[in-house]
Amino acid sequence: MRDDPHVVALVTRASGGDQDAWYELVDRYAPLVYTICTRYRLSNHDIEDVGQNVWLLLVEQLGKLREPAALPGWLATTTARECLRVVTAASKAERLGTGLDDSVLFVDDTVIDEEILMAERNAALRAAFAELPPRCRQLLSMLVSDPPHSYAEIHAELGIPIGSIGPQRARCLDRLRRSSALAAFGEGEEKIDIRGGEPGA
Amino acid sequence: MRDDWNDDRLLGVLSQALKARQAVPSWFIETGKNAFAWHNIDAELAQLTYDSNEDRREAAVTRSETASIRALTFTSAHLSLELEVTGNSLLGQLLPARAGELEIHTRAGEISTTEVDEIGCFSVDPIPDSPFRLRCRAPDGTDVLTGWITI
Repeated sequence: MRDDPHVVALVTRASGGDQDAWYELVDRYAPLVYTICTRYRLSNHDIEDVGQNVWLLLVEQLGKLREPAALPGWLATTTARECLRVVTAASKAERLGTGLDDSVLFVDDTVIDEEILMAERNAALRAAFAELPPRCRQLLSMLVSDPPHSYAEIHAELGIPIGSIGPQRARCLDRLRRSSALAAFGEGEEKIDIRGGEPGA
Repeated sequence: MRDDWNDDRLLGVLSQALKARQAVPSWFIETGKNAFAWHNIDAELAQLTYDSNEDRREAAVTRSETASIRALTFTSAHLSLELEVTGNSLLGQLLPARAGELEIHTRAGEISTTEVDEIGCFSVDPIPDSPFRLRCRAPDGTDVLTGWITI
C-alpha cells in the first residue's frame, strides 16, 4: 500500500496543476484529517481552521514531496501538529484569562499510526467499492446501511428475488475482494503478516 | 488480495470505510478543494517575524499589561511588511518603500485590492473577520505573499 501507484499518480498530476487529481486526493484523505481533528476534540470552527492550514500546506508542498506514497503519514503528522497548536493556544489564552492551569489534551503517536493504517484500508475499500458495477454498489449499500435493510426491503427496492440476494451478495463481495484497488492494499499487509509470523526469524 | 476476509468480515470493513467517509462534513471537503486555488502562486513568501501578541503573552506572566497596539511584521528576502491595527483598520507599510497594489485574499477565495502609495503605505479597511493573507505587487516585479493573518 505504501507504494500505491494510484496515489503516486494523483500527487504527480495534482502538482502539475490537475484540479481533478487534487479533488480526488482531498476526497481520499479528508476522513483521515477529519478523524484526527475529532481525536483532539476540536470544535467545528477549529476543525475548519486546522483543515484549511493542512490543505494549504499540502498545496505548497505538492511539488516537493519526495515520496508521494508517504503522503498519508505526512498528512497525519501535519494535522496532529496543527491540532496541538490550536489546543495549546486555547489553553494558553485560558490560563492568561483566569489564572487557572489547564492540561493540554495529548494524543499518542500510536493512535495516529493506527489512524493512518485505518485510513489506508478505508481508502482502498472505498476505491474498490467505486470500481464495482452499479448493481453491486446498490446492493452492498443497502446491506451496510444503518440500520441494515431486510431482504424484503432489498427485493422491493432493487427487484432482486429474495432467494438471489444471498448469492448476489457473495458475488459482489468476491468482485470487491478481487479488485485491483484492494489487491494493492492486501499485498502490503501480507508482507507485514509474513514477516511478523515467521517463527525462526 | 484479502482472501482471509470472509464475506461477513469484508462487509463489516466496507461498512466502516463508507461510514468514515460519510462522517466528514461537506464543508470540510470544500475547504480542502478550495485550497487548490493557491497552487502555483508565483509569489515570494513572507514569514511572520514579529507579533506583538506573542510579546504580550510572555510579558503578562510577569507583569500586568495595559492595552497596546497589535503590530505584526512579515519578512521576505526582498521586502518587509509592517502592519498595525488601528481601530477597525489595518495600516501597513512596505519596506523598502515602493508604490504598488495590495491584494487581500480571504480563505473563502475572495480577493479585494487596495493601493499602496509612493511611500509604501496602505490601509485595509475593514479588517476581514476571518483569516486572510496579503499579496503585494509592484511594477518593478515585486510579488510577495504573507502567511495567514488573524486579527
